[in-house]
Amino acid sequence: MSRFLGPLDSEGRIPSHQQTRIAAFLISAHGALARQYAIALPMRIEAAWQSELNAQFYRESEIVSLLQRSTSWVPDMALPYMAASWETAWLPKPVEGIIDQPSALPIDLATRAHAIHAGIRPAALLPVDANANDPFVLALRRIEFESGRLLQAQIPLLKSDSLVPFRDAVSTALERRHAEVRKLWADALEGVGIIVRQER
Amino acid sequence: MPRLVHGSYRIRYELDGPANAPAYVLVNGLTQYSELWSAYREALLARGFRIATFDLLGQGESDKPALFISQEDQVTALHLLIGELGDGPIFLSGISFGGLIALRYAIEHGERISGLVPMSCFAELSPQLLLLGNALRTGLILGGTSYLQDLLLPMNLSDQWLKPLLDKLDSVKRQGWLVNDLYALQNLMESFLEFKPLTPRLSTIAVPTMILNGEFDFLTPRAMHETLRVEIPDSSLVIIPKAYHAFTLEKSALTADLLARFADDVLAGRWHGNRAVWIAPEEPGGELAPFPAGYDHLRAIPVRAAPP
Repeated sequence: MSRFLGPLDSEGRIPSHQQTRIAAFLISAHGALARQYAIALPMRIEAAWQSELNAQFYRESEIVSLLQRSTSWVPDMALPYMAASWETAWLPKPVEGIIDQPSALPIDLATRAHAIHAGIRPAALLPVDANANDPFVLALRRIEFESGRLLQAQIPLLKSDSLVPFRDAVSTALERRHAEVRKLWADALEGVGIIVRQER
Repeated sequence: MPRLVHGSYRIRYELDGPANAPAYVLVNGLTQYSELWSAYREALLARGFRIATFDLLGQGESDKPALFISQEDQVTALHLLIGELGDGPIFLSGISFGGLIALRYAIEHGERISGLVPMSCFAELSPQLLLLGNALRTGLILGGTSYLQDLLLPMNLSDQWLKPLLDKLDSVKRQGWLVNDLYALQNLMESFLEFKPLTPRLSTIAVPTMILNGEFDFLTPRAMHETLRVEIPDSSLVIIPKAYHAFTLEKSALTADLLARFADDVLAGRWHGNRAVWIAPEEPGGELAPFPAGYDHLRAIPVRAAPP
């Protein structure tokens, strides 16, 4: 087991089976967010947050598209089972302690997006000698960079004054989401020889 | 690696040295991690001290709370660590953000420590520091952890330190980039949104205090340390020549020597702060020189001090 992807081939590329597993996980996670944003996206942009929702939808879609094109895909027999567990995890869940239904759905979506954008750091898996011009390497760096920016939509919502009365419930739900996403990510990587740091 | 437990969070710490020796507890600054004190560990162990370091909540290998990291939680983590050290003399030092946490600890639990060394530190956010902090946070948000490091390196380290590393800055930054997560750094920076100045409470710090400030520190310049010197009764201000904000990285041998000498002086009853201003030697073991009488230590050019 290693903390970093590899061994690299002679041109500094990541092994295809690792590319496949990582890309499949990220497509599942960001694809689920894109679908949920698409459902939440209103027909007309009438408020500032709707502009942000629009931007998030397109950026998530871009991540999915980028991975589809940049990954060197190979068959992965474990994927059907794993993908089913990932997709189940992305389903909306009630936020304990939030009984106001209109608030609960955006909070649930925001906690899931926060956990994916903040907790998954694909570029941190790259060894120092990975080929910086390889499309998959570039894609992982871009996804981590964009995730840091996408996160900026979730943070103000989850820290907003309107949620101060629910701060404990929101924090608990968010920590639970982080733990869940970290575990899925760690399990996905473990099967391709990678061990990631897991707090807790 | 041992862990402290605070609520649902775990804090990674390291403890070395004989259990009955006087202890030094060292607190990291923003983007730092425990291993950056390794030179201090060696130097202070050799001088007969016990050394405790830890990763702040949200940094290194400690847990990273997802949404809020309060400075009170950092003080609690520090209190837990100090609780591991027994009843012997304990000296507490921290740099920058870690210095602020050390100050808060000294205000709230001063009876537990024998001496305090705030380094590159501040008790309040001046307009410059507030705006710089905001700009650094924006840099983190827009450009990621790597960009924040790009800003901090030239701000906080000297040309002499940077020049031989210019071709390998990526490797210098890599470990800090790996162990720090953007959201956690952002949470740490946003812990200042509810920050209340500590200045009115500084006078309650009764322990001997040596304040260390780099000569060329422009992130937390002399005036910010002057507040500490004026308000903390048994304090001295020591200016580190040719040093910037992150002098603990750049001048570890000199700084470790100053820490050891301070603790030795306190334990031997030789320490008298007197709110004096000193100039540190350029090399470890050299003599401290009093700031020239009659000149204003807050100025960068030799200006006669105003009469008291």
